Amino acid sequence: MDEERAGRTDSAIEALLRDLDAAELELIDPPEDVWEGIESAVQAAEDAPGAVIALEFRRRRVWRIMLSAAAALVLVAAGVAAAVTLTRDDPARVIASAELAYDPASFDELGAQARAGAELIAEDDRHSIKIVDALLPSPEAGADLEAWLIQPDEQGNVAALVSIGLVDPGDPGPLDVPVGYDPSAYFVVDISIEPRDGDAGHSGRSILRGPLLDA
Amino acid sequence: MRPSAVGLDSGQRSQCGTDRGVVISHYAFGVPSPASQSADNVEQAFAGGDEDALRAAYELYGALVYTYCRRSLDESRAKDVTQEVFIRALRNRGQYKPQKGTLAGWLIAIAKNRIIDNIRAEQRHEKRRSEADLGEVAVEAQVDQAGDRMMVAEALRCLSDRPRRVIAMHYFDDLTHSQIADRLSVPIGTVKSDLRRGLLQIRRQLESVHG
Repeated sequence: MDEERAGRTDSAIEALLRDLDAAELELIDPPEDVWEGIESAVQAAEDAPGAVIALEFRRRRVWRIMLSAAAALVLVAAGVAAAVTLTRDDPARVIASAELAYDPASFDELGAQARAGAELIAEDDRHSIKIVDALLPSPEAGADLEAWLIQPDEQGNVAALVSIGLVDPGDPGPLDVPVGYDPSAYFVVDISIEPRDGDAGHSGRSILRGPLLDA
Repeated sequence: MRPSAVGLDSGQRSQCGTDRGVVISHYAFGVPSPASQSADNVEQAFAGGDEDALRAAYELYGALVYTYCRRSLDESRAKDVTQEVFIRALRNRGQYKPQKGTLAGWLIAIAKNRIIDNIRAEQRHEKRRSEADLGEVAVEAQVDQAGDRMMVAEALRCLSDRPRRVIAMHYFDDLTHSQIADRLSVPIGTVKSDLRRGLLQIRRQLESVHG
């Protein structure tokens, strides 16, 4: 379709021209806080090298949660076996995968019917996460789904986490793993609901989570 | 005929991407149109990774993107999507190739996808909340068409004064080539070449979105 539209005839372009009216030629200035939001997002990314810029980048904060007991046992025993050293010439390949699961005890109920997997893909000198086999809910208005990589400690607590970007429920991924974050350490994939409230931290409203295991 | 149908006031300035009002001028010659050069510079700087280019791109095309978003979204979501478009553009600026199309078209293409995603997400949410089948809505076609019209208007903004007025006279006021030549005191060949140039500019903008 796009090829047809790109190569449209003069008569089609002329029809578009004749159909324009005055209102369509007027532009609306965006409110000032639109640029302020862009600027703060860019600044936040510069302050946190390697972090993926997120919409309305939220203030990072120390954030610890208990992973579910079952998941914790898996986390300390499994995960991506070793850091992967990548070079420019590496072809794309799946090096780990995760089954993401809903925890009814602690997750947001919107995740009850959700399902998804995740694949850690290595290509050239970078990693990315691809959300696969996904059936994801759309969050309420004013909120987005966001994917995170979590580094657990030995007790299965969240030691650190990093946002890898917003997830479109209809077309999730791929999401780049930020430079400087080793997926063998940050090996738990989490998807959460994040209100656009200006807070850069995790909302605590996870819907799915699971550890990456060697493919 | 649509007399002055597009608000053809005199003295309106041609400025690619930045005009805030009516852009077609019937009467004023000699108004400089530096914006195309400016747009070219911003495109090159943006593609080249210039740190200040995001601000320059926003100043040139922030209103274009926001207006496009407002055609389909409420103010709050239009603001969010506009922010997201520029943030994504910055993240993915390595993918922008000035030789393949205009920065305006590339931004509108990003915006189109984000608007469609936003509308669909909202529709899914409404559907789930109401448990009613809202039916398939031709979101993509509507947003696509709005984007095309934005790019036609943007192409007109990017034209220099005389070709823009020639196009306005021909397509909005339905004047013939001869009538335009008489009114502007230029050869009829000039009118034809201005029309041709205008159509090529519009085609280039449209190809930037759909190419």
